[in-house]
Amino acid sequence: MSDARIEITNLIVRYGDVVAVDGVSLTVEQGEHVTLLGPSGCGKTTTLRAIAGLEEPSGGTIRIAGATVYSAAEGRNVPAEKRGISMVFQSYAVWPHMSVFDNVAYGLRVRNQSRADITHEVERALELVQMRDFATRSAALLSGGQQQRVALARAIAFSPRVLLFDEPLSNLDAKLRAEMRVELRDLQRRLGVTSVYVTHDQEEALAISDRVVVMHVGGIEQIGTPQDIYNRPKTRFVADFVGSANLIAGRIRSGASRPGLVAFDAEGGITLGSWATHPPSGNEDRVAVRTAYIDIAGGTPSSAPNGRANSIGGTIRQRLFHGDFIQYIVDSAVGQLTVRRPPTELFDEGAAVTASFAPEHCVLLEG
Amino acid sequence: MTDIARNRLLSARAATSRWVPSSQGIVTAAILIFCGGLVAYPLVYLVAESLNVSGEDVFPPAEMGLGNYTDLIDDWHVLANTAFVACLATVMAIVIGFLAAWTLTRTKLPGRAQLERLMELPYYMTPLVGALAWSILAAPRTGFVNQLWHGMGGGGDLVNIYSPFGIAWVMALFEGTVAFVMISAAMKSMDPALEESARVMGAGKWRTMLTVTLPLVMPGVLGATVFVFAEMLGSFAAAFVLGLPARYVVITTAIWQAVQSYPPDYPRASALGIALFAVMFATLSLYRLMVRRGNFATITGKAFRPRTMAMGRLAWVLFAACIAYVVVAVVLPLITLLLTSFQRFATVIMSQSEFTLANYQTALGFGAVRAALTNSLVLGVGVATVGVGVMTVLVWIIYRSRAPGHGLVEYVVMFPQAVPRMVFGLALLWAWLNIPIPIYGTLWLLALAYFTVLLPLGVRTLAGVVLQIDKSLEECARVCGASWLYQLRTVTIPLLRPGIVAAWLLVFIASVRELGVSIFLVGPNAKVIAPSIVSSWLSSSSELSAALALIQTAAVFIAVIVLFRATRRFSQEQG
Repeated sequence: MSDARIEITNLIVRYGDVVAVDGVSLTVEQGEHVTLLGPSGCGKTTTLRAIAGLEEPSGGTIRIAGATVYSAAEGRNVPAEKRGISMVFQSYAVWPHMSVFDNVAYGLRVRNQSRADITHEVERALELVQMRDFATRSAALLSGGQQQRVALARAIAFSPRVLLFDEPLSNLDAKLRAEMRVELRDLQRRLGVTSVYVTHDQEEALAISDRVVVMHVGGIEQIGTPQDIYNRPKTRFVADFVGSANLIAGRIRSGASRPGLVAFDAEGGITLGSWATHPPSGNEDRVAVRTAYIDIAGGTPSSAPNGRANSIGGTIRQRLFHGDFIQYIVDSAVGQLTVRRPPTELFDEGAAVTASFAPEHCVLLEG
Repeated sequence: MTDIARNRLLSARAATSRWVPSSQGIVTAAILIFCGGLVAYPLVYLVAESLNVSGEDVFPPAEMGLGNYTDLIDDWHVLANTAFVACLATVMAIVIGFLAAWTLTRTKLPGRAQLERLMELPYYMTPLVGALAWSILAAPRTGFVNQLWHGMGGGGDLVNIYSPFGIAWVMALFEGTVAFVMISAAMKSMDPALEESARVMGAGKWRTMLTVTLPLVMPGVLGATVFVFAEMLGSFAAAFVLGLPARYVVITTAIWQAVQSYPPDYPRASALGIALFAVMFATLSLYRLMVRRGNFATITGKAFRPRTMAMGRLAWVLFAACIAYVVVAVVLPLITLLLTSFQRFATVIMSQSEFTLANYQTALGFGAVRAALTNSLVLGVGVATVGVGVMTVLVWIIYRSRAPGHGLVEYVVMFPQAVPRMVFGLALLWAWLNIPIPIYGTLWLLALAYFTVLLPLGVRTLAGVVLQIDKSLEECARVCGASWLYQLRTVTIPLLRPGIVAAWLLVFIASVRELGVSIFLVGPNAKVIAPSIVSSWLSSSSELSAALALIQTAAVFIAVIVLFRATRRFSQEQG
């Protein structure tokens, strides 16, 4: 397996007057697993299909393993079948008129492999997805989860340089989806193949990726490791879309110009210690606090706040029991705060509480 | 932003400079030019000829004017006759179709599924066969019904099929099943929850029907009405067999007369044809508009299991009516033809009948008639085989490729549907008479003509299947490394197989019974069966005509049985 980097520069895809992808630039390293995450219509699937060669862009360049597969300037557009990539489709696209074996062997047969090689590679691929006993079964008779595995085996059987995934788990039920996540991550690590994964499920994106690319209306909002995206959202969109966060309105105190701890004057006359990941411009008017990073304790805040933590007094307006966690809605001076606590911490509706969180978890968003 | 602007500019330039002929591009271009030419070329000739006022049959006309159209005013009774018969037949067909659809989708009856299949049978009888049979049954004096009436001592004629009502009756029997299929599709695609919620809100059975069911089904009924009306306008056979003896002329038969007269009056025929085409095109456009707009959100293309209701004794009356329809439209005509075909002189009074096999000996042994039969079968197999191959690629281009202008292709391909068969036959006749390629009067021209007029049928049948195939099944093949042709061979065509078989059989059936186009294009060395039936009818041999009609019907029914078998097997395989 050669150095299969994917380099996308200034990619533009247009459908008529609608610009679906507007100037996306991204590099995926050899063996890296990158996820494009975003709501429907954000351009993630279109970007993936442009990499695959199934969608013709109208601008930019795409290079795979050093070879230019698309370039607007050079007028080059290598067709999908010549790009040496492979893809798992949202609908699985398992051919119902073939057996499981024939499905998986397809890419090898196209490449004119010897009969012995085909048998060997197909068995290896089916072994990897634990479907070896199903080889002779007609593909029309498989369940959703089994079809998913066959689609995966088919995609890896001919040892492609690059694997693309278009929401491969979205048609599975919740339990199976969680299982497949684990297997996919495992498989990707073992094969060490460069892969690009598309999903609208933020939990899935955080769980299985080396890096996450959050997309919004045709552009990239933020690129980073899952922890980065979760702990240090750059924009309001990222804070809102990935995980759940409280957005607190206010204004950054003037004078701050370096990243790090800054003072933020929130509504209600409360000053919050907050964290700037970038040099502040002075126009920032929102901070984000993850619902899981807020502690609550009974009683009103003591006059001397402990250490550097931000403390805000409030009352519990609503309590929703979710099982794995309890969600509280707290009315406070800075507005309504949503707080998620373990089910062991029980407070009654109407109780006076203090909500506190560390300044590092109070992230200043770009203005 | 400047970067983006520059990129856009570059990509626009790239799109014009890069033109590498791929297999897909070449095949697309070739098929489009071929099909577009086949459809458009004859119509150009027809329009030009309709404007020809020079009195000479040359192309392009020496003198052009609207004289032929203004002359149509003198033919107002022909236009009035056409409208009258079409309206009458449409009303009867819709009544038949609506009652049958209601009975079979909404009431609890034993054997509904089988009855539904039976209700489709009249469609496979051609109007020509139906008209022949009904003429033998109910002609004045000699018709079987009148023979019996006279035998029982009745005076005069009990029934007279040689009348506008007779024409409308036979056409309605044939089109009733079309109306039935369209209306029951509308009824089946209605979510029963819509009715159930009315019932839950407290509305009774009849109130629900009036306030919910009927308004929701109405667009489907109206659509069927307009569609059937358009078909009626362009129909020829019934008006020809039943109208001409009574000198009752409609547009299609007027066109035929103009071409058969000596010398042939092509300009008048062309003007009549264009006028008919204009009305039919307007009607079909109205239909398309209604289908697109009137379907509300209830018609999702998803089939529901409609809620059935117990109708008590009324259900049995409706059931009997459905059976009666099949008897009158299929069984009675076939028995009549069978009886006639084995007789020397057609009679229903058994003591007078002379049974003979002579008609079949003539049909199968005699040169010209047997040649017509063989030609029809050869054409049917040939057009179906080659035609469906081309149509498959065509359908793929229309619905799958992103080649520019594929929407236009669909329009061109579906266009022959809006042109009455007679008019298209006339256009082809005139166009190919004037072209240096010497295929006029040969089977090749008939084959081309059949292919052209059957394009909409084949393409629609195949499109239904193509649209059901998930696009990613094909994309996956490409991503796995397959070329376009390899993908077509290994994925698309195998998945399309049920559609291809159905389209093949439908095109075969339609070819074997084709009349409107053939009647203008047959020559001494290129005879086919339907026009042969007509000419044997004209030489007043109803016995030989009956034998021929039965042979044609048998060929069609064998194909229908294969079709049903095949589609059932495929649906079992898929399920």
